[in-house]
Amino acid sequence: MDNIKESTAIELDNVYFTYPDKHEVLKGVTCSIKQGEKVALIGANGAGKSTLMSHLNGVQMATSGHIKIAGYEIQKSNLNQIRRQIGIVFQDPDDQLFSPTVFDDVAFGPLNLGLPKEKIEARVNEALSVVGLEGFENRSSFHLSFGERKRLALATVLSYQPDILVFDEPSTNMDPMNRRKLIKWLQASEKTILLCTHDLDIALDVCHRCLVLADGKIVADGPSKDILYNRTLLESNNLELPLALMTHELLHDTLHAESMDEGHREVIGNFLHAHRHVHGPDQHEHVHIHAHPHDHDHLHEHVHEEHFHDLKHDSDDHTHDHDTVPHSHDDEKKETKTE
Amino acid sequence: MALDIDRYAHVDSSIQSWDPRLKIAALGFFVLSVAILKTLPMAISALIAAVIFHRISKLPRHFVMHGMMAAILFLLPFFIILPFTYPTQNQTELVEFSFGWEGFRLACLIFIKAIAIILTSFTIFGSSRFDVSMIALQRLKCPKMLTQMLLFTYRYTYTFLDDMKRMQTSMFARGFVPRANLITLKTYGNFVGTLLVRSFERTERIYHAMLSKGYQGEFHTLVTFKINRKDWLKFCLVVIVVVSLLSGEIFSGFTPAEKGWY
Amino acid sequence: MHISDGILSAPTLAVGFVGTVALAAVTMRKLDMEDIPKISVITAVFFVASLIKIPIGATSIHLILNGMVGVVLGWRAFPAIMLGLILQAILFGHGGITVIGVNAVMLGGGALLGFMVWQLRHRFQIKKRELVFAALAGATSVFSSGIILALALLTTGEAFWATAYYVLAAHVPIILIEAAVVGSSAVFLTKVKPEILAGQKDNPTSSS
Repeated sequence: MDNIKESTAIELDNVYFTYPDKHEVLKGVTCSIKQGEKVALIGANGAGKSTLMSHLNGVQMATSGHIKIAGYEIQKSNLNQIRRQIGIVFQDPDDQLFSPTVFDDVAFGPLNLGLPKEKIEARVNEALSVVGLEGFENRSSFHLSFGERKRLALATVLSYQPDILVFDEPSTNMDPMNRRKLIKWLQASEKTILLCTHDLDIALDVCHRCLVLADGKIVADGPSKDILYNRTLLESNNLELPLALMTHELLHDTLHAESMDEGHREVIGNFLHAHRHVHGPDQHEHVHIHAHPHDHDHLHEHVHEEHFHDLKHDSDDHTHDHDTVPHSHDDEKKETKTE
Repeated sequence: MALDIDRYAHVDSSIQSWDPRLKIAALGFFVLSVAILKTLPMAISALIAAVIFHRISKLPRHFVMHGMMAAILFLLPFFIILPFTYPTQNQTELVEFSFGWEGFRLACLIFIKAIAIILTSFTIFGSSRFDVSMIALQRLKCPKMLTQMLLFTYRYTYTFLDDMKRMQTSMFARGFVPRANLITLKTYGNFVGTLLVRSFERTERIYHAMLSKGYQGEFHTLVTFKINRKDWLKFCLVVIVVVSLLSGEIFSGFTPAEKGWY
Repeated sequence: MHISDGILSAPTLAVGFVGTVALAAVTMRKLDMEDIPKISVITAVFFVASLIKIPIGATSIHLILNGMVGVVLGWRAFPAIMLGLILQAILFGHGGITVIGVNAVMLGGGALLGFMVWQLRHRFQIKKRELVFAALAGATSVFSSGIILALALLTTGEAFWATAYYVLAAHVPIILIEAAVVGSSAVFLTKVKPEILAGQKDNPTSSS
């Protein structure tokens, strides 16, 4: 019985919420997130993301509808229990760091749990080493750099050891290196993760599923590769394609140019790895961005043996019989595979 | 802005290593006794004691001097006001004003007392981490709510200082020059209003973050204090100083500053 | 303007201490969990705001803003001001640890009186109600603080009677400046976020 109860991490059932000033923000939100899933909640400003987030641990209570966290329905009486299951990392680290030292901030959660001293110290050390802030215990939180404070804010939630983590705009204002570290950490984590973000690229990298929130309702719920590649859907909700995918527009123009000289080809080779494919019975053309089955740091590296790519399209107009096209990069210029 | 009162708390000295509760109790007692002194010889003795305490704590002189500047500026006018306004018959003619020595002595008294008190205040709070001082106060029966709020206020002062600096930069960048006119006042009115709005919104978010981490109204800490014999010894030494000052004040027959130099 | 250590007599200091404890007990009785971060954060704002310098003539003065604290926090203005004073005494040494009692009664009491003046606005329906009553609250706060300070000096000893008069005189320009700043702040807040102001009747979540 317990297993079944716990397999759903977050469950929202027709949740409505209206502020005291009569402003209705959530208008029937329904969705379900299973344990271990990594989901992105995307939506324009004003869609209700922050409000929804504050409902997930009972800081705000829904006007109507039900919310279950790890199987337990949120009620005034079990808020402590709920908050042990789900941790929220807010956007501004300054709102979450309010103790004199780094150690104290990370110990705040465990202290509230009433744990004994040794356990608290163990949890603090663990959380700090996860975010790479070992040795910072006695420094004061508000004298750290922004990146350090962001990581520290995460540590203050980790030490509480919830199984479900919710992030509000985790990558805002972060420098590329720290952002990349965060992405790697999120990818490797085994916890259930909900990312509320505008950074569609981090959603693309980390989450296999996307929820689109617009005007207080979930208007789309599906695999990332369906949602984040769907320009029409995104733009009709005041969003845009992730930057990583927008470059195909640049390519579209460039590769369609009648005369492509060496210089152009080199530019494209340096920035992306892409092909212009011609296929289908009507020989239509697409520019395809490739997700390689192997890692390489430089997108312009050539791979000589034949391999497969997943093909993504820039619009949902049609599908193909096959999703992969075998080729090697040596064939790039003369490529006109048909299926 | 020198907010870090505890930046020298790590220095190794007899006062830094004194149990903070006993330190605050003893030196606090000292400070209160200085406040009620009325004779110049005792005030000077108190100042000497305060200087000795300060030297023992090894807190740098510039750290303390910087802090005392404001107080000194506040007190200097008394050297002018008191001598010339003291209600008395004995007045020496100085230029065309009547200069009263009573008033001057009184000004000396308050100046010396103030310096002694402020110096000791820095010695007390500059020798422990701020949060440790607050916890020590709590253990001395100061209300928990108060010390907790003090800690919070201290921490968020830094954030708002940053906010304020940024807002001022933006104001000055748009050509604002503070002058003694209504526009300046109105601008500052809006400035304060903006800071307030921001702080209100921030306060809600902070409270949510605290709730999310299990806050239920109580603040817990792992800080523990241990007293050893040396701590009691230091406590007794200071008590002896206090008793000497007070008995000197009451029994030695020195006259209050207003009436005479000794 | 608050007073430094070393000046006031023992009885005056004692009365100040007792008064502060009494006022603190009354105003802090009903504080709940949410108030702790709220009061602390607002106190931090005022603490920082009091560092602003306004030039008058050859010198510059700092804003006191205790009237504003009253207008925003209502009864809770007293613990907030007390907190700010304690912090100031500890961090800056000025307006020090022995005179906290007197300073708190002076500035905190002034804030409470300012709040009471601010609340009077409900009885009037005039244009620019907030501006007028906030300005009056600002003026009242500084004025009462000045009176209490003067009283403290007077009770300390005859030697300080002249000082007391000068202090009162010095408060006059400050009263005008504070009235202007508090007034315009209140106008700003009424437009931008009226629920911040204390004692707002049409808002069910107001603080009072």
